[in-house]
Amino acid sequence: MKRLLLTLLLVSGFAYSHEQVPTYPKWERGIYPGVLTTTIEIFNKRNDVEFYEIGVFDKEWNPIYFVADYKVVQLKYLSSASIDIFIARENRDRAEYVCSRSKIRKGGDARTAVSSRICSRFK
Amino acid sequence: MLRNAIVVVMSLSALSAHSAEVPINGTVQSRCIITTDTAGVYGNPNAYTLTTTPADGGQLAVVRFDVSLADAYYAQITAPSSFSSSPTLPDTVTWTGDTEVSAMSDATGMGSYETNKVELGMMDKYDLTATGSTWFKTSSTATLGGSRAFPGGNYTALVEAECIAQ
Repeated sequence: MKRLLLTLLLVSGFAYSHEQVPTYPKWERGIYPGVLTTTIEIFNKRNDVEFYEIGVFDKEWNPIYFVADYKVVQLKYLSSASIDIFIARENRDRAEYVCSRSKIRKGGDARTAVSSRICSRFK
Repeated sequence: MLRNAIVVVMSLSALSAHSAEVPINGTVQSRCIITTDTAGVYGNPNAYTLTTTPADGGQLAVVRFDVSLADAYYAQITAPSSFSSSPTLPDTVTWTGDTEVSAMSDATGMGSYETNKVELGMMDKYDLTATGSTWFKTSSTATLGGSRAFPGGNYTALVEAECIAQ
């Protein structure tokens, strides 16, 4: 019984985190003319989350069209992914933020869930 | 014979020198980490109220922000204003919610976070001016209109925790 209680305490004490680098990414010339690319890395330490949505936004948080392998990335618990993001050169000055947002599954008990979003900024 | 012995000894010493100098490389990057310490639970003190207030059987949502670069990030935390999943409800829901700093790793550098925060509706915005960890607690209460009872079922609402580079 004591062991069970200790296990429950330890499990309930676990924290789950979402991490993204770099803070200030830079656009670089892509392999195609007129296309710029940057790379962000996401680390998933949330075992309640398996998918992250990527977005590129301007100063007013309007979405900017971009291309990536997947806009919703599946990331298993304790794994990381490097994501290449491509935009048209003419959008370079408009693009202000690149963000990743956790996607929460429906269901569960009467609770609040935490949706996390981290945004890097182009300077 | 002596020459061979010298060559062997020199080779061995060269090998040992190599094995003693294996480098471990690492890069430290500035970053923001959002950690869910407690997801939060709604208590049901009466038929028409769901609340995270501990005195009513609920549990506050607690989120920790770790930053490794000062003056580089804003923390924006938004209390729920709708259910992300719930049974069909017979009336409209009134929402209240608030976020406060609950703990910090650097009382000197982070002591002014709560007084300097900007509140915009359900969203509280903090300027993370110091490096280290800050814990934020978010309360949420949902009240069903006309004092009608919440139907039985599962209810989930999302607290949005955002870390935005400045």
